[in-house]
Amino acid sequence: MTTWIITTSNQIAGLVAMADRLGSPVTIVGVGIDVLPAADRVLTVPLTEGLPAEAAAPAVCAAVEARPGDAVLVPDRAGERVLAGALAARLGAPVLTGVVAVADGLFEIDRFGGIARERIRTDRPAVLVLPGGAELPGEQAAEPFDESAEPFAARITAETSDAEAGTDLSSAKRIVAVGRGFRAEADLGLARDLAASLDAELACSRPVAEGVGWLPKDSYVGVSGQTVKPDLYVAVGVSGQLQHMAGVREARTIVAINNDEHAPIFAHADYGVVGDLYEVLPALVTALGRGRDRGRDMR
Amino acid sequence: MSGEEAEEEVFDAIVIGGGVAGTVCAHQLARAGHEVVLIERGNQPGAKNLSGGVFYCRVMEQVFPDFAARAPVERRITRNVLSFLNESSSVDIDYWDQRLAEPVNAVTVLRAKLDAWLAEQCEEAGVMVMPQVRVDALLVEDGRIVGVRAGEDELRARVVIAADGVNSFIARQAGIRAREPRKHLAVGVKSVVRLPRKLLEDRFRLNDREGVAYAVVGEATRGCAGGGFLYTNIDSVSVGVVLRLDDLAAKGLASSDVHDHFLSHPAIAPLLKDGELLEYGCHLTIEDGPAMAAHDLTRPGLLIIGDAGGFTLNTGMTIRGMDLAAGSALAAARAAGAALADRDFSQESMDRYGEELGRGFVGQDMELYAKLPALMDSPRLYHDYGALLADVLHGIYDLDATPRRHLAGIAASALKGSRIRPTELARDAWQAVRAL
Amino acid sequence: MTIVVAYKWASNPQDASVDAEGVVDWSRAKPALSEYDPVAIQVGRELATAIGSELVGVSVGTAAVNGSMAKKAAMSRGFDRGLVLAEDESADWNRTRVAQALAGLVRRIDGVDLVLTGDASIDENAKLVSALLAGHLGWPCLQDVTGVERTDDGWSIVQAVPGGTRTIAIAGPAVLAIASDAAQVKVPGMKDILAAGRKTVEAVTAADLEPSSVELAVAGRSRPAARARRNRIVADAAELVSALRADGLL
Ligand SMILES: Cc1cc2nc3c(=O)[nH]c(=O)nc-3n(C[C@H](O)[C@H](O)[C@H](O)COP(=O)(O)OP(=O)(O)OC[C@H]3O[C@@H](n4cnc5c(N)ncnc54)[C@H](O)[C@@H]3O)c2cc1C
Ligand SMILES: Cc1cc2nc3c(=O)[nH]c(=O)nc-3n(C[C@H](O)[C@H](O)[C@H](O)COP(=O)(O)OP(=O)(O)OC[C@H]3O[C@@H](n4cnc5c(N)ncnc54)[C@H](O)[C@@H]3O)c2cc1C
Ligand SMILES: Nc1ncnc2c1ncn2[C@@H]1O[C@H](COP(=O)(O)O)[C@@H](O)[C@H]1O
Repeated sequence: MTTWIITTSNQIAGLVAMADRLGSPVTIVGVGIDVLPAADRVLTVPLTEGLPAEAAAPAVCAAVEARPGDAVLVPDRAGERVLAGALAARLGAPVLTGVVAVADGLFEIDRFGGIARERIRTDRPAVLVLPGGAELPGEQAAEPFDESAEPFAARITAETSDAEAGTDLSSAKRIVAVGRGFRAEADLGLARDLAASLDAELACSRPVAEGVGWLPKDSYVGVSGQTVKPDLYVAVGVSGQLQHMAGVREARTIVAINNDEHAPIFAHADYGVVGDLYEVLPALVTALGRGRDRGRDMR
Repeated sequence: MSGEEAEEEVFDAIVIGGGVAGTVCAHQLARAGHEVVLIERGNQPGAKNLSGGVFYCRVMEQVFPDFAARAPVERRITRNVLSFLNESSSVDIDYWDQRLAEPVNAVTVLRAKLDAWLAEQCEEAGVMVMPQVRVDALLVEDGRIVGVRAGEDELRARVVIAADGVNSFIARQAGIRAREPRKHLAVGVKSVVRLPRKLLEDRFRLNDREGVAYAVVGEATRGCAGGGFLYTNIDSVSVGVVLRLDDLAAKGLASSDVHDHFLSHPAIAPLLKDGELLEYGCHLTIEDGPAMAAHDLTRPGLLIIGDAGGFTLNTGMTIRGMDLAAGSALAAARAAGAALADRDFSQESMDRYGEELGRGFVGQDMELYAKLPALMDSPRLYHDYGALLADVLHGIYDLDATPRRHLAGIAASALKGSRIRPTELARDAWQAVRAL
Repeated sequence: MTIVVAYKWASNPQDASVDAEGVVDWSRAKPALSEYDPVAIQVGRELATAIGSELVGVSVGTAAVNGSMAKKAAMSRGFDRGLVLAEDESADWNRTRVAQALAGLVRRIDGVDLVLTGDASIDENAKLVSALLAGHLGWPCLQDVTGVERTDDGWSIVQAVPGGTRTIAIAGPAVLAIASDAAQVKVPGMKDILAAGRKTVEAVTAADLEPSSVELAVAGRSRPAARARRNRIVADAAELVSALRADGLL
């Protein structure tokens, strides 16, 4: 049995950890990358200049000769998901997401945003899409995969880099998350002040990043965004939909500030303030400041 | 362009609102062969309607034979409990009667399911159901209502039927009434709590698919005019309070607090124990239907039905809205059908609706119950009677080793201890008999 | 030329409940067009209008997909027609099989040169059906697509990537997953809904499509334990600060 890893970058610490748990020999297939972490076998599918990784799907399908019992691990990123889909379609294999545990050929997976859990068995190779995780150091040892599977006729014709990058929140100890309860982008200053006085990172719900674009796309928390586990998560003007809360399950303490006493978030919170964020946030900053000054006096 | 205009479709009827009133009316008209559009602002009919209640559903048999068997109803009510709740005591009048099951007289329903089913029946009858559209205005030409506008679109029809609920914006826009005074309205706050079916049937002593309806007065509302209710569904209970708006404001209470207080009352909480909250919401309802329905219900080309017309009877023990919604819908469908047949949409033609109402149970019941709110006004109902009953029973059951007295003596001294004067007792009793 | 958009009729798990055995009860959750699919339909509609192509909707789901609610909800968004597989058994299919059925639907439509999907479905949230569908069709796939234009031999596609965008030229047909903010969605009006009522949605059965053998056996279910929360409502900011301080969080 083999565990396969398909990747276009070295941000695969999460996959390598899963591969360790599975215990089988590991083959890493790098796409457009040949400096890769060490493994039992390391292959590289080269990309010619201007070819997007997605276009190499035929070669990846040829390279990964997965058999029943094998697992194919793929980071949850746009390019690699496409490769996973192509491979799974060719193998007639299921693609599993939300994998929380693996034991004796049974995969335990979270379904529907984590409200239910299933143990899955399959007689095919299983393709697992998982959070990629941190970057690992690589070494130049990959053997080029030289089957001449024709890539798709695709070409990168232009690139822009404008979007401001968000912060990695996975290790943040304190987070202030803003939602659509804020009426205007300028009002986020209130949240920034709070974050500053708490020494916290700023995060948001998906529509704040993707609907109105007030914060970078990658700074939202939730099923399709980041998963966080801070000691303190202060959600301000966030309704607390399942898709958001799925990213905060592991937070130690959740605080909700919302003017709707029936907002679902209160059911998921340790502390709640029912009130208008435009009044609560300034008061909170003041209260925190006061505490700080007092602390200093006492020292 | 005149060509385009000539092509513009004119429907026979547009019904605004996909509640019980709207769906029943649209269905009847379509079945009579008319081209009908039913417009509902919610994602689908029922989505916005606070779920549930007891539906006195005989009227539905006229529309859907075998209604109680075919429609997604929850349980047939065979047990009614009238409960006087005090701070630390309660007195129940518990009435079970097998006869209530056959023919089915009242059923519990969850509106999300029922309204969706009614909308399906509409579709099958050929109604064009339009969810997720909110009517913004009526189209008026030469004093006649000729259609509706929603966003940028206009749709024309020979008759428009407003079934848009208690807060009918259409009735206001048609100039039929101003914003309803608070004392005609009440707010309902309700939860739906899931209980495993077996547990629920054991706890409430229910046979298969039979159900119980509690009407609770007194401490249920912290003395506010109104009442508490609890109805059993298949595997959940609908429980909450209905509070008269003016009294709520006067007493300075928050409706959600009253609701929470009721659900956690030591006489109620055990009924909900280990339940899982499925749904919570609040909705306006009508306190004084007869006063509301006393407004006009028609304009040339327009009929108003259901809650929009004021057709709810809140007797304190029961809220009847859905049956009256259906009854008024049937009357309106007949009136609109006649108008369509005669191609006459004048005021006189529309006023046939009033005659149709008068012939059926809707008009007659509204008239009969017109007297009732006077009793409901009595603050004694919300506090003193429950305490009095409890004191009498306490006198009977609290065997504290003193010699027993005659029941009349216990009652007399309990009455003396309460704030109720004998004349008030007599007057309330007389009013209750007259009203019920 | 035909553009196809795959749409899903699905419920929000936010409204579902799960019993102690892990069985999901969807009865209180009302299915609707999956939240981000209208964006894909809108992009498809604009593109189809711009290049004079037909726009066809495809969907795989339970019998409800062929019900009037679902048909109207989808068709009123601007499709010319629909082709669906509406069978209750499909509720248990894994996504590889769903995508295979979608590919089967696409193959029954003449001259398809572009298939669009939403970003992620509201219940599964996998971002995978586009990739699997492309795999079954043997076509290239791109996700996070924010713009598409027709070129002489294919498509010019703008894709959001971490830190920016890139433009990719593809010759021949493709499957694209449309980013959730790629277009401003217009809510259907009464005229759109009336028009939708007149459009045809054809239903095929699983037997009409090539059989699939991708099976997943569910060996067990459970309800994950939720972390217990205190659910304490505090009066104001000051009380919140003292509570957090008492917990040693500040
Ligand atoms: C496939 C899919 C994936 C998704 N993935 C994610 C995800 O990963 N992360 C995510 O966050 N979302 C995700 N969503 C979206 C999610 O379903 C919700 O729509 C979103 O989380 C809601 O964001 P919100 O709470 O900011 O906005 P809303 O739901 O609009 O809530 C705003 C809240 O602010 C409150 N408010 C308003 N004014 C004030 C005030 N003055 N003071 C205080 N409070 C106020 C309101 O009461 C309300 O509760 C996803 C959706 C889909 C379909
Ligand atoms: C807490 C509570 C408990 C109750 N209990 C009972 C009970 O036990 N038994 C009983 O018989 N009755 C009960 N009622 C009353 C009953 O719910 C109503 O009388 C009944 O729903 C009236 O039906 P309707 O069709 O007239 O209006 P509704 O059911 O209110 O329907 C109106 C519809 O119109 C739609 N709408 C509104 N405006 C527009 C617009 N502009 N454009 C498009 N659509 C629009 C709404 O979305 C809604 O779907 C209760 C009410 C409450 C609040
Ligand atoms: N059963 C289905 N029928 C049609 N389209 C689907 C189906 N499932 C998923 N899709 C499409 O694939 C997209 C992504 O879904 P998912 O991979 O489940 O997150 C959705 O937005 C739809 O466009």
